[in-house]
Amino acid sequence: MAVAGETRLSAADAPFGALGRVPAAVLAVAAVLLLMPAFANNFILFQVFGWTFILGMIALSLMFLAGYGGMVSLIQMTVASLAGYMVAILGPSGTEQISLGLPWWINVPVAILVATLFGTLVGALAVRTEGIYTIMITLAIAAAFFYFTRQNYTIFNGYNGFTLVVPPPLFGIDWRQPTAFYYLSLGMAALAYGAVVYVARSPFGLALQGVRDNARRMAALGYNVVWHRILAYSFAAVIASFGGILLVWQNAQIAPGTAGIPAVIDILVIAVVGGMRHPIGPFIGAFIYVLLSAFAPDVLTAFGLAPDRFKLLVGLGFLAVVAFSPDGVLGLWARAAERRRRRVDPLTGTPR
Amino acid sequence: MTPAEIDTAQRFGSVSAANALELRGVTRMFGALAAIADVTMTVRPGERRAVLGSNGAGKTTLFNCITGDVPVSSGTIRLFGEDVTSFPPHERIRRGLRRTYQISLLFSGLSVVDNVYLACRGVSRWRYSLLRPRRSDPLLARADELIEAVHLTRARDRVVSELSYGQQRQLEIALALAGAPRFILFDEPAAGLSPTERRELVEILTNLPRHIGFIIIEHDMDVALRVAESVSMMHNGRVFKEGTPAEIEDDPEVQALYLGGAHG
Amino acid sequence: MQAFVQRRPLTSLLVVVLAALLLWLILAPWPPGVTATLGPKRVVLSSVLSGITLGALYFLVASGFTLIFGLMRNVNLAHGSLYLLGGYLGFEIADRTGSWLLAFPIVFVAVALLGVVLQWAVFRRMEGEELRQTLVTIGLSIVIADILLWIWGGKSYQILTPDFLAGPVELPIVTAVRSDGTAVYLRYPRVRVWILVAAVVVGVAMWLVINRTRIGMLIRAGVDDREMLAASGLPIQLVFVLVFAFGAGLAGVAGIVGGTFQSLSPGEDTRFLLASLVVVIVGGMGSIPGAALGALIVGLAEQLGVLYAPTYSVVFTFLIMAAVLAFRPQGLLGGRG
Repeated sequence: MAVAGETRLSAADAPFGALGRVPAAVLAVAAVLLLMPAFANNFILFQVFGWTFILGMIALSLMFLAGYGGMVSLIQMTVASLAGYMVAILGPSGTEQISLGLPWWINVPVAILVATLFGTLVGALAVRTEGIYTIMITLAIAAAFFYFTRQNYTIFNGYNGFTLVVPPPLFGIDWRQPTAFYYLSLGMAALAYGAVVYVARSPFGLALQGVRDNARRMAALGYNVVWHRILAYSFAAVIASFGGILLVWQNAQIAPGTAGIPAVIDILVIAVVGGMRHPIGPFIGAFIYVLLSAFAPDVLTAFGLAPDRFKLLVGLGFLAVVAFSPDGVLGLWARAAERRRRRVDPLTGTPR
Repeated sequence: MTPAEIDTAQRFGSVSAANALELRGVTRMFGALAAIADVTMTVRPGERRAVLGSNGAGKTTLFNCITGDVPVSSGTIRLFGEDVTSFPPHERIRRGLRRTYQISLLFSGLSVVDNVYLACRGVSRWRYSLLRPRRSDPLLARADELIEAVHLTRARDRVVSELSYGQQRQLEIALALAGAPRFILFDEPAAGLSPTERRELVEILTNLPRHIGFIIIEHDMDVALRVAESVSMMHNGRVFKEGTPAEIEDDPEVQALYLGGAHG
Repeated sequence: MQAFVQRRPLTSLLVVVLAALLLWLILAPWPPGVTATLGPKRVVLSSVLSGITLGALYFLVASGFTLIFGLMRNVNLAHGSLYLLGGYLGFEIADRTGSWLLAFPIVFVAVALLGVVLQWAVFRRMEGEELRQTLVTIGLSIVIADILLWIWGGKSYQILTPDFLAGPVELPIVTAVRSDGTAVYLRYPRVRVWILVAAVVVGVAMWLVINRTRIGMLIRAGVDDREMLAASGLPIQLVFVLVFAFGAGLAGVAGIVGGTFQSLSPGEDTRFLLASLVVVIVGGMGSIPGAALGALIVGLAEQLGVLYAPTYSVVFTFLIMAAVLAFRPQGLLGGRG
C-alpha cells in the first residue's frame, strides 16, 4: 500500500484506512472551510466554528497523548486554562488590580511557556505509574487547580476571574470580530492538526507509538521510555496552550469554571466520541459537541423536556458511543469503509 | 559493515581481544531458591553457543541476568572485557548486547518497517527528532536490509497485528539485529514454528555475520545443535557440562538427565 | 516490627520520640510558648479531631473505590455520584420515616443493587477493557449527576442528626486549666465521635474479611494476579459483583454520613470522588490500610490547612499527593507501581 514517491515509511497512517489518500474530499472540506464566511452568519462563524476549533485543539492534545502515547491524560483543559489565565494576568484585562498589562508579544509566549512547563511537570508525575493511573492522577491535579483558582484571590482573582481579555489589534484588525476570529482559530487549528500529523511519523512520534505498544521492548532497544512520555506531555501542552489562549480571547474572560471538572471531562468525551485513531477525530467530536450544545436546548424543549437537560443528553450519547463504537465516529467510518471494501462480487472476485 | 556498526566497533574497541561474554560465579536467588547458582561461562567473540536444559533449569533467568533485567545476587558479568554487573539494561544495549524474547515483544500497531526502523534508531542519536526522515536516510536502507535478512521483504508494510506467528518471530529476530549488535541472546526462537519455518530460522541464524556471537536457548535440539558450535548444559541452575554438539549428543549423563533417549 | 527496629534503629528512635511528643501535646495543658506558635489548644485539637473524622468519612468512600480498582482494575469515576445518590436517598428516608438509622440498611441495599446491575449487565461484558470500563463510569457519572440535579435541584440538603447522637461529648483531654485549678476538657460533637468509631469498625471488619476469610483470600489473590484467579475456575464473576456492590453500597452509606455532619449538594459528588482519588494515590491502590492512612493524612491536611492557611489548604493536599507521586509512585502502602 506504499505510495510511490512518498517520504513516509508506510501508508498505515492514511486517514480512513481503506480509502487510502482522499485528496478530493480533503480539498473540498478545505475549500468549504476557507470560504465559510461568505455564506455563514456571525453566530456560526464565531460560536459554532470558533468553539469547534478551540475545543478541537484541546481535545487534539488529549488525542495525541492517548492515541499515540497510550496515556489518557485529563490535564489538557487545565493546561489550556492556565495559558488563558496567564494571558489575562500578564496582559491587559478589565481586572486592573492584578493584570500587568504587558504587550501580547510578551504575555502570549510567556503564557505558552508557563503552561507547557506545567504540563511537563504533570507528565513527570504521571508517567512513572501504570497507564490506568494516569486518568486518576491527572484528574486529581486538574481538580486541585480548579479549587486553587477558586480560592486564590491574589493571583487568580478567585470566583471572579478576569474579564475584558481581548486579542491585540494586530494589523489594525479587531481579531474578536467573527470573521477575523474565525480565520484566526481556523489557522491555529490547521497548524495544530498539521503539526500532529507530521510529528506522528517523525522518529519521536514513531517512538512514542512504540512506547505505547510495547514499552518494555522500547527500553530493550535503548530508548528512555520515561523521557519520551514526558516530552510527549510537553508537545501536547504546547497545542493545548494555544487552544487556551484562543479560548480566553473568544470569551473575553476566564474564570475557575473554565477549568472545572465538567469542562475537563467534556474534553475527554469529545476526543472519545470523535475517535482517537487520527487527528481529525477530535475536531469531529468537537463539532458534534458544539452542535449539540447549540441546538440541544431547542430539541429538548420540542420533546417537552427542560432545556437544561443537555448534560443528560451528552452523558447518554457518550455511553452509547462507548458501548457500541468505542473508537468513536472514526471507528464507525473505518468499519463502514471496511465493509464496503469487502463487498466483492462472488462470481468474479472484483469489488462491487 | 554499516557506518553505525563501524561507529560501534570503534567506540568499544576491536572485536578480537576480550571475550564477548564472561560470567563468573553468577548466582541469582529468589528468596531461598537459587534460580541460577555459581554459573561460570566464557563465550568468545563470534562464537555460537547453545544453552540447553529442561524447564526450570534456569536458562531464562540466565538471560535476564545477562541483560540486566534482573540483578544478580552475586558474581560478575563482563561484556567484551567490561564489567557490566551493575549496569542498567540500556547501558548494556549500548555496548552491543541484544536479546529476543520467548513471547515476541513487537509494536502491534506499527508496520514491519516501522518496527525495524525504531530498532535501528534506538541506539543512534536524535532519537527525539521531530523531523521526518528523508527518503535517503541510511537507517531506512538499513531497516530494509534487515527485513531482507529475515525474509520479510514482502510483508514490509503490513501492520504487525496482521502477520502470522512465524512472521512475527522473524520480525523479532530482525529487531535484535538492528543497530550493530555484537552479541545476541536468542530466547527459544523456534518455539511454535512449523518445520519449514524452522529450516528458515536455521538458515537465518547460520547466515548471520561472523563477528556477531550469540547464545541460543532452545528446546528444539535439532535447531540448537545445527546452529551452535558449542553447548552448555544446565540443570537445577547450574552448568554441569560443556562441549561441542557432537560431544553433548553422545554424553551418557546428558542423555540420562535431559534427552531421555530420542530428541528433536 | 522487631525486624524493623533492628534494621533501622535511628528511625525507630525518631518514631518513639515523635510519639512521646505527640502524646504530651495531646494530654498536657500547653505552656504559653506552644500556644503562641500553634494557637489555642482547644482550636488546634478541634481541628485535628475534625481532620480525623473527615478522614473517617473519606475512608468510607475511598475504601470501596480502592477495592473496586484493586480487584477489577476499574477506575470507578462514578463513585462520587454513588455517594451523592446515597446521601439524597438517605435524606428522603430519614425525612419521611423520621428514623435516621433506618436509612442505612435501605440505602446500602439500594445502591448495592445498582452496583450489582452495573457490574453484571455492563462491566462484565467489557472484561479486560479497563479503559473502556472507566469511560463508562465517566458517562454514568454525567448521567447520574444530571438526574440528581433534576430531582433534587441545586439547593443544599442537611440530614438532621438524630437526638440520641446530638450534642457534644466531653473527651478526657485537658485543653486548659482554670485559675481555680480545675481542668477544662475538650468538647466535641457526639455524632462525629460515633462516625469515627463506625469507620474504625467498618475498616477493621473489612480487614478481617479480606485477611481471614476464604472470600477475602480470593479477593487478595485477584488483586495480586487477576489472570491467575481467572484461570483457577473459581466463581470470580460472583466475587466481582459482590465487591462492586459492597463498594457501591458503602459509598451510598457514606453519603448519609456526609449529609449528616456536612451537607449534600451538586458538586459534592465531584469533591468526594477527588478525595477518593487523592486518598488512594497517597495510600496505595487496592490496600485497605493504605486507604485508612491516606484518608487520615488527607483529612488532617485539609483541616489543618483550613486552620493555618485558609486560601492555600488545597495546595497542601496537592503537594502531599505530588510528593508521594514523585518519591513513591505506588503509594505509601501500595504494592506495585
